[in-house]
Amino acid sequence: MLREELVKRSPLRILETSMHGGLGKGNVGVLASRKGVGKTACLVHISTDKLFQQKPVIHVSYSSRVDHIINWYEDIFKEIAKSLNLESTADIHDEIIKNRVIMNFNQEGAKTEQVLRSLEALIQFGKFAAETIIVDGYNFIQSSPDDLKKFKDFAAKIGLEVWFSASLKGDDPLFDDLGLPHELKRYLDSIDVLITLHSVENLVQLRLVKDHDYPAPAELRLGLDPGTLLIAEP
Amino acid sequence: MRTDSSQLRNIGISAHIDSGKTTLTERILFYCKKIYRMHEVKGKDGVGATMDSMDLERERGITISSAATNVTWSDHQINIIDTPGHVDFTIEVERSLRVLDGAVLVLCSVGGVQSQTITVDRQLRRYGVPWIAFINKLDRVGADPLKVKNQLRDKLGHNAVLLQIPIGLEDKHEGVVDLVAMKAVYFDGTQGETVRMEEIPAELRPEAEKRRAELLDAASLYSDELMEAVLGSRETEGQIIEAVRKGTVSRGLIPVFMGSAYKNKGVQPLLDAVVRYLPYPAEVENYAFDLDHDARQIKLSPDPEAGAVALAFKLEEGPYGQLTYIRVYQGEIKKGEELFNTRSRQKLRVGRLVRMHADSMADIDEAESGDIAALFGVDCQSGDTFVKTGLNLAMSAIYVPEPVISLAVLPVGTKSADNLAKALKRFTKEDPTFRTYVDRESKQTVIQGMGELHLDVYIERMKREYKVEVETGMPQVAYRESISVRAEFDYTHKKQTGGAGQFGRVTGAIEPLPDKAYEFVNEVKGGRIPREFIPSCDKGFRAVLRKGRLIGFPITGVKVTLTDGQSHEVDSSDMAFQAAAQGAFWQAYAKAKPQILEPIMKLSVESPVEFVGNIFGSINQRRGLIVSTVEDGIFARVDAEVPLSEMFGYSTILRSMTQGKAEFTMEFLKYARVPVQIAEKLTAEHEGKTKKDQAK
Repeated sequence: MLREELVKRSPLRILETSMHGGLGKGNVGVLASRKGVGKTACLVHISTDKLFQQKPVIHVSYSSRVDHIINWYEDIFKEIAKSLNLESTADIHDEIIKNRVIMNFNQEGAKTEQVLRSLEALIQFGKFAAETIIVDGYNFIQSSPDDLKKFKDFAAKIGLEVWFSASLKGDDPLFDDLGLPHELKRYLDSIDVLITLHSVENLVQLRLVKDHDYPAPAELRLGLDPGTLLIAEP
Repeated sequence: MRTDSSQLRNIGISAHIDSGKTTLTERILFYCKKIYRMHEVKGKDGVGATMDSMDLERERGITISSAATNVTWSDHQINIIDTPGHVDFTIEVERSLRVLDGAVLVLCSVGGVQSQTITVDRQLRRYGVPWIAFINKLDRVGADPLKVKNQLRDKLGHNAVLLQIPIGLEDKHEGVVDLVAMKAVYFDGTQGETVRMEEIPAELRPEAEKRRAELLDAASLYSDELMEAVLGSRETEGQIIEAVRKGTVSRGLIPVFMGSAYKNKGVQPLLDAVVRYLPYPAEVENYAFDLDHDARQIKLSPDPEAGAVALAFKLEEGPYGQLTYIRVYQGEIKKGEELFNTRSRQKLRVGRLVRMHADSMADIDEAESGDIAALFGVDCQSGDTFVKTGLNLAMSAIYVPEPVISLAVLPVGTKSADNLAKALKRFTKEDPTFRTYVDRESKQTVIQGMGELHLDVYIERMKREYKVEVETGMPQVAYRESISVRAEFDYTHKKQTGGAGQFGRVTGAIEPLPDKAYEFVNEVKGGRIPREFIPSCDKGFRAVLRKGRLIGFPITGVKVTLTDGQSHEVDSSDMAFQAAAQGAFWQAYAKAKPQILEPIMKLSVESPVEFVGNIFGSINQRRGLIVSTVEDGIFARVDAEVPLSEMFGYSTILRSMTQGKAEFTMEFLKYARVPVQIAEKLTAEHEGKTKKDQAK
């Protein structure tokens, strides 16, 4: 299969359609669940999908080492290439690497202002025209709504979209009647899209619980394949 | 003196540049009573540290050559190989690591894990060398040993465990708390020579107990006996030491020690740790290739009665001739004994056998399995194996990377020309990554190496040690040519102008060959090319690969398949088929979309975070690809891939744009295709030069 066709047939197109055309520039999206459900796999799949479209991505990690993140990308790339019989894999792989920069921060040491300064420096001086920023391992419990707002303002200023993962740690029930995580409620003003991940009988379901300013979003027809760790139709 | 190999340690001291490794080594020599006065690197007294044996090292405050030295501590002999810190001299580090059984990795308590530490860690991993960590410079402003220990865990993924905690930091640094003995350790006397053990100060007690609990948790995994004892709170020092030793030798655990070599604190406990936790030679398995049995790998025996096997791992040309550093792996080597060099197939007699101490030496009569010693006046190359006559074993060759940069050197004056030859002969023997040749066309002497600094150091050494003044050309990148698609050939070489004629026809194809320079496949059937002329074809193809037609650099990554051909009873010859192969190659080369490849370097820049913008900019301007960054709030490390051709003079540029606060390391990564515009420029330059040469 050719790359263009692969992009067209990606299950992420369903995600975009479900949320009225995608996350969009200047917006913040969050994937939330308990630890170990599959947030990083989803983020790396979203990122790899952008890379397949030749759109540069900055992957910011607050937790994992750079080599761990590179391994995630390698695994997800292999799975996508295998599942859809991708042609010229080696060339596409090389091209993808060129459009990806991994930035690792220590959240206790590096304040949000400094992180954003470094991101801007990479985009401006490194001439890296990122369209998407992936932020994994960000600690929402230690952080404040002000910090998230700074990310959102940054996204609007530069004209890019930012995807976060949020690890939920509280006692059950984690979610309210509308499916919104209690721990993230104080951040809702700066979150445009919120997707929660639920482990249901060996399957991981994705639920869209906030979709920009649209009312009560519907159930997503998407899950995480436990074998390939790719976002897929159930 | 030792009586068995369990009382011997062969260790290296590896570190990031400026982490105080040479000062530490100097202190070790002093406390082991090998020297009676201490100097500092760039010492105010005008005398450098003892381990830096060359003037240049003294002046630059860096260690280039790995000098071996032997000390005695607590009835144990310790052979110390001082290793260079800069990545340009990596071959020296790698050669040293090959002969070590253990290492001490020195880290700066402020800088922590830096790019060079990561390189050294990778090398230690490659050779499976167990190591312990020493966090130095606790007296410096900003010292944070806990942060450094955590970096060993987070950045390098090691199971690093504190065996000491500091008593005071920066200007209040007094000593360390030993978490095994649960005692405070102080260093008295003008040079810290008296070790005083005291009760742990009350204010440090809770921290010491917490860290000891962590230590016991980690060590228990390596000893059931300790685990049981810990459960009953009756663990002994011996049990802890044994468990930590097991963990360290198996590379599952990294014990972390600390101090300030400069302030004479923490060095003696580090020596105790070398003896306690690092393996002795017989604990390490070593292998050799049996040349009588298809180079099958066989395990060497540390038994002194077994036949001798030793590896020459470093050569040095001194005032008394060539000094060959050897590591004995099996049996023993005695003065006056005959040995056999399995590479050169020549016999040699052991004349003078010495144990080295930086610049001085002591004569010995024998060197046993595990020993590091030096031989005098033996003609050999680095990496050669010496065995007892009758054995035919070779230690595995040390991996030698291909040089990536070259520089034309022109001696000024006739005396310089004579000495230049001597200097080059010595350097190439000492360092396999340093090479030299005379360019056939320009008649210039060209030196090749692993980076700009690598060649700079040799130019300096020529001046200092051989009084050779040279003018140098522009550094030249080692480009390569290759092909990108398969192309067929059908070529006839025919000449019949008087005398014997020449005839040869070859048919086949060339195609890209990843990860290999050249492969020749013969598929000719029915004797269409007589068997004796097949090697002639191979020879012809090999000959053309030496110089491509795009920019005159070697061609690499080509598979040639010969499928058919034709010969003539009288006119076909070796020469005719060589010529046919050459003609055939050029016929196909033009169709195979030839391309220019350039060396891409792995660049790692470290700097305070405020300069990352400048660094990103500088990498971008140099056609670099930023791969990743790591920031901890104060420092940032930027890893990138950059073409070598764009990196000349980068150290000066980096220094000026970061007020001298950033540093970088660079090593060869891969060859990659040159962008079209640059390829066109290179081709045009080559054409211009060729025309000019022809006009001459």
